[in-house]
Amino acid sequence: MYQLLLTNRYLASRLTPLLAVAAVALCVALVIVVVSVMSGFLNMVQSSGRTLMGDVIISYPVRGIPYYDDLVERLEANEIVAAATPAIETWGLLRMPYPEGDAKESVKVQVWGIEPEGFAQVTSYLESLQWTKPPKEVIRHLLLDVIDSNANTLIAALDGPTRAALLQHTAPDSVAGMSADEIETLAVQLDNPAWDVRLRIVALEGVDAFRSTVNDAVWEAVVEVDPRLGPGTPTLEAGATLMRDGREGIVTGLHVSDANRRGSEGQTVIARDGYWWLPRFDVTLTTLPIDARGGILEPESISLPVANEYAAGVYLIDQTRVFVPIDLVQDITHLDEARLVDPDDPTTVIGTHPARATMVLVRGQDGVHPTQLRGVVDRIYDEFASAHGASFTPPPQRGLSPGLGIRTWEEQNASFIAPVQKERQLMQTLFSIIYVVCGALIVAIFWAIVYEKTRDIGILRSIGAPRSGIVMIFLLYGLVVSVLGSVAGVGLGWFVTTNVGSIHDGLSDPPLWPAWLLIGAGVALLAGGIITGRRRRMLPLLLGSYAMVACIAVAVGVILLRESGGMTIWDPSVYYFDEVPDQVDWREAITTAIGAVIASVIAASIPAARAADIDPVRALRYE
Amino acid sequence: MSDLVLSARGLARTYHLDRVDVPVLKDCSLDVEDGEWVAILGASGSGKSTLLHLLGALDRPDAGTVHIGGMELSRASQRQLDRVRAGQVGFVFQFYHLLPELTVLENSMLPAHMPGGVGASEGRRRALDLLERFALGDRLGHRPRELSGGERQRTALARALVNAPRVLLADEPTGNLDATTGAAILDVLSDLHRDGLTMVTVTHDQTIASRADRVLELTGGRLQLDDEAAEGADSKAVVESRRP
Repeated sequence: MYQLLLTNRYLASRLTPLLAVAAVALCVALVIVVVSVMSGFLNMVQSSGRTLMGDVIISYPVRGIPYYDDLVERLEANEIVAAATPAIETWGLLRMPYPEGDAKESVKVQVWGIEPEGFAQVTSYLESLQWTKPPKEVIRHLLLDVIDSNANTLIAALDGPTRAALLQHTAPDSVAGMSADEIETLAVQLDNPAWDVRLRIVALEGVDAFRSTVNDAVWEAVVEVDPRLGPGTPTLEAGATLMRDGREGIVTGLHVSDANRRGSEGQTVIARDGYWWLPRFDVTLTTLPIDARGGILEPESISLPVANEYAAGVYLIDQTRVFVPIDLVQDITHLDEARLVDPDDPTTVIGTHPARATMVLVRGQDGVHPTQLRGVVDRIYDEFASAHGASFTPPPQRGLSPGLGIRTWEEQNASFIAPVQKERQLMQTLFSIIYVVCGALIVAIFWAIVYEKTRDIGILRSIGAPRSGIVMIFLLYGLVVSVLGSVAGVGLGWFVTTNVGSIHDGLSDPPLWPAWLLIGAGVALLAGGIITGRRRRMLPLLLGSYAMVACIAVAVGVILLRESGGMTIWDPSVYYFDEVPDQVDWREAITTAIGAVIASVIAASIPAARAADIDPVRALRYE
Repeated sequence: MSDLVLSARGLARTYHLDRVDVPVLKDCSLDVEDGEWVAILGASGSGKSTLLHLLGALDRPDAGTVHIGGMELSRASQRQLDRVRAGQVGFVFQFYHLLPELTVLENSMLPAHMPGGVGASEGRRRALDLLERFALGDRLGHRPRELSGGERQRTALARALVNAPRVLLADEPTGNLDATTGAAILDVLSDLHRDGLTMVTVTHDQTIASRADRVLELTGGRLQLDDEAAEGADSKAVVESRRP
């Protein structure tokens, strides 16, 4: 088929079709990157909603739902409910361990009181815990903490050979030339502060140096004080149980602490080389309890060890939310069980105010749609409310108690999800204009190609090519150009989307080497232009100059960007998530590619028809 | 009398340029017999190429008829004209008109792919034979820009002949070549004529005319001798020189 042969040769031998391929590729890549990031953002919004709070949420803020254990039991008895758990949501102030000195910083936090085991079954709480083990740079500080608090115990556990080894390790000059017996004699004479210093010196060299220097009894004592330095994953378990060192603890969002920041490769960097790792410290949580009439009572404070940190990936949540055992939150918000006394005779107990939870989170079995689950939860809740309707503190009733809500996770987050959906639709609509741009570029480029190939068209007509054959050449040409362009565009879109985080980090903290590379390339291009231009050719000289100016301008831009501290486009505090979505929306990508091919072929049909209409006699005379 | 391969009667063609009508051909008639070589002489702008385009179904006359192999072209559909160009006539142009992106072999085979052509495999076989005959067997993979003028014109000849047309229409085939190369091309044309190929050549080169069976002169938009022949006048000797 001569059309295929000519299409193939035209593509291989000219620069113009490459421009068309590049035009289609850029259009396709642009749409794929924008729509993928928007889709990724929407997916993150939706999935975070579900993984953070389950499928259906029963909420009754401030006063809370009494007898919630019974409600959970009734819910879990239903076959389509996988798990349910109570929770309390309130606001508080968290007094942080930093900075040094007495004046500590306080941050406003959203306190969630949870039953960690049940909460992990309803949400992805366990998967969101940040630390399985203490990070490497923190271990040294943990070891020093243990020496600080238990120096005497550790020194007591030092045996003779270890003391001698410590002396040799920490003060080799002072024991030089001594025999082993002499060193041991010297070691006996040293007091505890001297050993304390020596233990610290070895600890500062790192946990491996410390472990290889001290005897087993010392190390066992260290691990007993802080199991996080030993084997296993006690850090993770502390988060999972909200317990640390035998005390009830707190899990804080990763960005609650100002000491944590995102590194250039997405990793968490802890200030002062790991010193301010929050699970080393205790924090103080203060809340304002509200009484039964809605009045504010005296603030309640509680000191809690930080058990772990929590990274949901939603910046807004990671910046404000903390998790505390539900019983503690009930205590400090006065939602705990309380006895009711006769107002006329305070010594007479007339009833009990049951403990309350402001939320019950419900997760459905796999495959159960949240709307279906909500219907079941509605029914179970009504039964529960009516069962306790006669009690002294009846649960709120649906339709009668304003503030009581039973919503799916989508409904709960509707005000957040709907705008993102609309934004994505808007983007898709706006970017569909790209097809028109793509088509216009193809028409312009192909019109030039037809003009350039006028004599070829005359030749083909003179040897018997029908008009349809001429049309087919340019349609095929359009098809091949658009398919190549679309494939290249999908590849480019995939590359940019999957590396959007690195590109963003590169802009935030631009390295200098691209600037030098660009300057070198610019100078080389100008030299090439001058050398070619010496043969009295204007175009190479002009192109070389433009390329050099463009390269140097970009290089200067990179240097200025670096000097000004980089450019953060994706500010997590603005976009809620701390990472740019980097998954390609393949359905949209393929739709875009097919759309570009269709638009290009339709556009190519216009110059193709013009080519077919060219008078062969005139075409043969065309110079 | 041999069969008529090509017959034109009363051909007229006027170009409309910037609201000015330029009559190029007026009432031209011509008969070409099977195996005959007719040379049409004329000055530049006399309408030689226009006449050739009308004879080769590349253009339509304002008046008159053209018959090729018994088909009347003015009544033929566009599709039929395409098939005539592909299978019944072969064009050779002064400036070769080869497709620069294709090789010698691909250029030569091209008409075989057209509707009315002999098809790809037969076309390839014939193209190889013709190129071998025209001493281009070692240039099959070369592009036109890598060839000399003579080689390009021989490639164009191979392309014109690949579908074994009834008549070869050559427009100044040596007009763009030096004397030696032009003579070589003329030798090739003479060989083809000896093999029985019917040819119509338009030229202002007397050397070509000297090799043709019949020479006609196009002046004032008319072919003098054949027009008179159509009127029954026996005055061919006035402007016609027939080779012995």
